[in-house]
Amino acid sequence: MSYIEIRGLSKRFGSNVVLDHVDLDIEKGDVIALIGPSGTGKSTLLRCLNLLEKPESGQITIAGKTYDLTSRHSREINELRSHTEMVFQQFNLFRQKNALENVMEGLTVVKGLDQDTARKIAVEQLVKVGMQDRLFHYPRHLSGGQQQRVAIARALAMDPLLLLMDEPTSALDPELVGEVLQTVRSAAQEGNTILLVTHEMPFVRSVANRVIFLENGRIVADGTASDIFEHPQNERLKKFLIHISMLEES
Amino acid sequence: MANLFDVKLVFTEIPSILRYLPTTLWLTLVAMLIGLVLGLLIALVRLKNIPVLTQISIAFVSVIRGTPIIVQLYISYFGIPILLKYINYYHGTDYDINAIPGIVFAMAALGLNQAAFDSETIRSAIQSVEPGQIDAARSMGMTGFQVLKRVIVPQAGAVALLPLGNSVISLIKGTSLAFTCSVIEITAAGKILAGRNYRYFEVYCSLALIYWVITFLLERLIKWLETLVTVPEEAPELDAQGNLHIRRGKREKVIRASDLGVNDILQSMNGGGV
Repeated sequence: MSYIEIRGLSKRFGSNVVLDHVDLDIEKGDVIALIGPSGTGKSTLLRCLNLLEKPESGQITIAGKTYDLTSRHSREINELRSHTEMVFQQFNLFRQKNALENVMEGLTVVKGLDQDTARKIAVEQLVKVGMQDRLFHYPRHLSGGQQQRVAIARALAMDPLLLLMDEPTSALDPELVGEVLQTVRSAAQEGNTILLVTHEMPFVRSVANRVIFLENGRIVADGTASDIFEHPQNERLKKFLIHISMLEES
Repeated sequence: MANLFDVKLVFTEIPSILRYLPTTLWLTLVAMLIGLVLGLLIALVRLKNIPVLTQISIAFVSVIRGTPIIVQLYISYFGIPILLKYINYYHGTDYDINAIPGIVFAMAALGLNQAAFDSETIRSAIQSVEPGQIDAARSMGMTGFQVLKRVIVPQAGAVALLPLGNSVISLIKGTSLAFTCSVIEITAAGKILAGRNYRYFEVYCSLALIYWVITFLLERLIKWLETLVTVPEEAPELDAQGNLHIRRGKREKVIRASDLGVNDILQSMNGGGV
């Protein structure tokens, strides 16, 4: 049995089928990149896994327990959410709290840790993402790249079984992309299990051990980075890669 | 001519009037709390678009905003007893209308009035919280109540503080209409005092002074609260001695960077890396 198993995940917005019976097995330590044209349900897949969107059907097995993703029981929902953490495109830091408080928030409120323990974990995580000089800065005092690094620290501090990253560099100025990718890379090297939606293909090539190509709500191709980029089998995937490489060259 | 305006009386009447200040403040406090709690509930009902309750809320806010407060006080004062009589008649109960002090009717009317206005302020303040931050809190595993308490209220509260403060200031002045429910607060007390010697103008000057001082103090309080809930303009600064200066309004807090254990963590990380 795999570390995490997702079965029959379907999601519609009105008549528009965004995810169509997606099955996905994830092993511990996997760094999986989800790629594909926009509007193919990559972000929706992540948002369904921690129930920010409610799918029509689907279940997930994580930490030896199977959760129905259509469940309405708030205790089950919160238990599942506590196993996963999300890093958002727009960072979504709490604006009224400084970097340290942002990272401590989940530790004290959700995990119920005392202030001192939470502060220790939070400082450690913030040091890891290189934010040791900005512990008391509020989001408004930080650049986009710094905010995203705090957001990654906030997610990692919760010690999730699965880290979901939804285009973590898409909202950043080009010169700030590098520092965030470096942070993602070290999170990957520390053995975190990551499901990452991104358009940074060179980064995918160097960090992901598995690449999934999603189109029209289905997994069309699934393999190692070299399978996908060097030897694409699928016609749609080939077209997508040509399109992407044209963009990168232009 | 000397007795046309007795300046001394303006000040000597103040202590007698102030004996009724607790009534004014008590009335304000209770109406304010009713307004905030009910206003928050109405705002949540409308934001969540709960059927039936939403329609009731819209109608309630429209009626309250569309009628003068003095009419609402009269309706409360005459309406609640009629309601009680009705209940007594049809349910065979024996509630005593006269046992209810007038201040209760005033609290109900002023509280409901506040709720209608506050609900709109609170609703727009909650809408100003970025949905992404609520997503972030929910995806951490916070319960709906925790999201409300930890994320929405602190942020919406900062946005709503000034308009809600204004609303309390007008409430304090609105309590001067509570005489309609036979409540003796400072304005009613002033009128009674003035009736003894027909020095109405002096007493009204005393009242004006008292109200102005109260609202002035309240304004200062709101200003102070604002510096507490507003994110500081300036980023914290690290000086050469390794002290972190965090400025908030005029106050400054200094934290020794070494107390945070950052260096220990850095050292252990470097040690582990080599």
